[in-house]
Amino acid sequence: MVELAQNLIDGLGRGSIYALLALGVAVVFGVMHLLNFAHGELITVSGYAAFWALTNGWSWWIVVPLIVVVAVLTSLVIERVAFSRVRGASDFTLLLTSFGVHFVVSAIFLLYVSASVKNFPRPAWTTSSTWSLGPLQIETFDTVVIVVTMLTLLATNLLLQRTMFGLALRAAAADFDTARLMGVRSDTVIRGAFALSGLLAGIAGVFWLMRAGSTTPSAGIDPMLKGVLAALIGGLGSLRGAVLGGFALGLAEVLLRSWLPGSIAGLTEGFVFALIALLFIFRPQGFVAVAHAERV
Amino acid sequence: MRPETITSSGRALTWPLLGAAALFAVLVGGGLAYQGLLGTGAAERLVTVMLIDAIVVVGIQIYVGNTGVLSFGHIGFGAIGGYVFALLAIDEAEKLKRIPDAPFGLVGVELPPLLAIVIAVGFAVACAFLVGLGLGRSGAASGAVAATVITLALLFVTHEVARNWPDLTGGDRAGLAFPIRGSLDSRLPIYGGLLIALVVGRMFARSRRGRLAQAAREDDLAARAMGIDPLVQQMLALLISVAVVVMGASLKVWEDGSILPGDFFFQYTLVTLVMLIVGGRNGVTGAVAGVIVMTIGRELARRLGQDGFEVFGIGLDRAPLDWIFRENLQTVFLGVAMLGFMIWRPAGLLDDLEVDDWLRRRFAPADGAPAPALADAAMTTPSRLSVRAVDVRFGGFQALAGAGLEAGGGEVVGIIGPNGAGKTTLVNVLTGMVEPTAGSFSINGRELVGQPAHELARAGLVRTFQNLRLFGALTVEENVEVAALVAAEHHPDRVRQEASALIAHAGLWEHRHRRARELDYGNSRRLELARAAAMAPTFLLLDEPTSGMSDSESVAMVAQVKGMADAIGAGVLVIDHDLAFITGISDRIYVLDSGSVIASGTPDEVQANARVKQAYLGSAAG
Repeated sequence: MVELAQNLIDGLGRGSIYALLALGVAVVFGVMHLLNFAHGELITVSGYAAFWALTNGWSWWIVVPLIVVVAVLTSLVIERVAFSRVRGASDFTLLLTSFGVHFVVSAIFLLYVSASVKNFPRPAWTTSSTWSLGPLQIETFDTVVIVVTMLTLLATNLLLQRTMFGLALRAAAADFDTARLMGVRSDTVIRGAFALSGLLAGIAGVFWLMRAGSTTPSAGIDPMLKGVLAALIGGLGSLRGAVLGGFALGLAEVLLRSWLPGSIAGLTEGFVFALIALLFIFRPQGFVAVAHAERV
Repeated sequence: MRPETITSSGRALTWPLLGAAALFAVLVGGGLAYQGLLGTGAAERLVTVMLIDAIVVVGIQIYVGNTGVLSFGHIGFGAIGGYVFALLAIDEAEKLKRIPDAPFGLVGVELPPLLAIVIAVGFAVACAFLVGLGLGRSGAASGAVAATVITLALLFVTHEVARNWPDLTGGDRAGLAFPIRGSLDSRLPIYGGLLIALVVGRMFARSRRGRLAQAAREDDLAARAMGIDPLVQQMLALLISVAVVVMGASLKVWEDGSILPGDFFFQYTLVTLVMLIVGGRNGVTGAVAGVIVMTIGRELARRLGQDGFEVFGIGLDRAPLDWIFRENLQTVFLGVAMLGFMIWRPAGLLDDLEVDDWLRRRFAPADGAPAPALADAAMTTPSRLSVRAVDVRFGGFQALAGAGLEAGGGEVVGIIGPNGAGKTTLVNVLTGMVEPTAGSFSINGRELVGQPAHELARAGLVRTFQNLRLFGALTVEENVEVAALVAAEHHPDRVRQEASALIAHAGLWEHRHRRARELDYGNSRRLELARAAAMAPTFLLLDEPTSGMSDSESVAMVAQVKGMADAIGAGVLVIDHDLAFITGISDRIYVLDSGSVIASGTPDEVQANARVKQAYLGSAAG
């Protein structure tokens, strides 16, 4: 029982980061039907920025906002350079475009930095600090992640529900063509979506990088997969589903890791992928189905 | 159209086989010339790698090109096959060293490599069958995201298993390896594999199943409405495609002399996918062109990255492009190529142009055959379509409320009503695109409600679409032939007209070799009509066949519809809101308003009906 509670908390912490990533993926999918395989590159780029800043003696207090700003800017630049040119293209083209962005960004770091792992110092409290709640040992880091994530989700929800931009974004996600007919400016909405997606990835990236303490040219694959898969689990196009999908994925990972016998614990990731494949086979529309009827 | 004239006659396969031979000659001849010119071991190795890549890429093309589903998983199948091959072919002494604890008694197995390849292909195809069932379950449609994600998950699952099962795979670092000199020392198996890949690729694309898969790729919904079940074609394409990929992967392992989990993962997936899309994913020729272009480009980028301009014999003290010519330039090149082609030329260099099509146009120009005429209509037993009390509700909106009608074979029944009356919904119900909330319909007493779209089409209910849905990349001729293929399979007993005669009757004879997407609006409509007629339907359902046409075109359309319906002995259900058109074409008319039939009868009776005047003419014409 205690173990289960402990696992739930661990899963919640992990799932929080996934939820932020997935929400960013879902927001972008909503406005241009793009499944963004390049989402993890926001963390790769911020990771190198963090590495550069920290090795130059900057404090984490400055690096945290730096990571977020770099993620937002990177998201906007990628939209401008690549995605703005394939708006309205087929799903096939969109998928491969984002795949291409992923490879170009990681190749650039391979070319100009190196293939080797770049380590940077992590803040002390992220590794050792815990506090007790009855029999439970809770990491301070997880607590911060969960609290910040909840605040971020709350703020995002306010943004989506209470502002014109949020309304436009939700309208576009529900039916992009109609939204445009109703006067929603596609440029503004799409750029706004990418900025929001970058902001969420930046916040997730802060935690991701604090936990990893390193970056490599291909560091984006892992967060990308987590974000994309979580968004898919939730049902693409559903923002709420993406958040749920993130938490579900985090919990699934932690629970699998604790349940699998030691000899095959290394296969946790493999099991997660297999589960996701099964999910897609039996429920291709995800948990939270969004009605998509084609007019004939 | 007799189906054998386009599928099984020797003549029809001559050109694709010639095409495969030409591609083989270009790859092998070019490769041999290059390595002969340079005479280095590195050049020879580069050519070998190119030939193997060509097998794998052509294999991927068979699935991705014909079905339009993007797969990241084929290299995962390559991993499965590659490991099976290595486990079977590596000798016992080497296996005792590397994987003494291998399960299933594999340590003692030692097969000749070619036999090992055959078993590897068989094993991977069996796995692909299971995955294909899953893909089918997820409703893989052209470009569908769910299918792509499943294939991506497959790639990761195979990778994780390979890394974490060292007893079988030698793990992440040691891997499996042939003993020194145990690996491939002759190119003959590679040549053989390449020839097989090219022939299979071209033959599948020209085959009946291949055509049906391409039709579904172009428009999934229209394909279902033509009686094609896309899942069957997709499964077949997947199995053939995986077989070819695994053949290439096994040869790669044999040639490399070793296999590691990382050999068949993201990097190789990227390399092969870039080759495929740069050349043009919809054709075997495109796939081969992509392999050649990207092999040259990557090699050049690698050398430039290493040596800068010295590659060209220009030694500069401070080369101006040093900031680009750095190590790993070839990786950037791959990514940029993928991105650039997706942005500026998503169809690739050659799109779906095939070398054999080009050769045929060049050396065997189309004959100036005169347009054939429709054959005389044969007598058919009259059919009867009965629609009874159909309700359709979309949320709170009642689109159809107890709609019913009767139609006989050989008569033209018009359905008219204002926008929103439920006309298109009725066609959607009869063709399986909308499930009715209540009610039923039958042909000759055979109950059909609840059947999937492709079954209804096979049962004889064939439609055209209000918003055109042609198979855009296929030619006019191919659009009609695809329908004729389905008809030949499912209605051998019904009156079928030659596809060419239908094309001629629709006035498209001189356009028959053009792609459907190049046609203007009126011709597109006429092609849809011809395609539907080629299905040999019992009832032809026409959804606003003249929308967007001029008055004179509409008049001509009336004659074409009647002529075709007579020639195939089909009843016609035609929907429109244009009263003049409907009264001109119909024997009987049903008037629909707010989802119910408010009147029916001959054109004269309907026009005289007071309720019709009030409900329809009153609002629309008044």
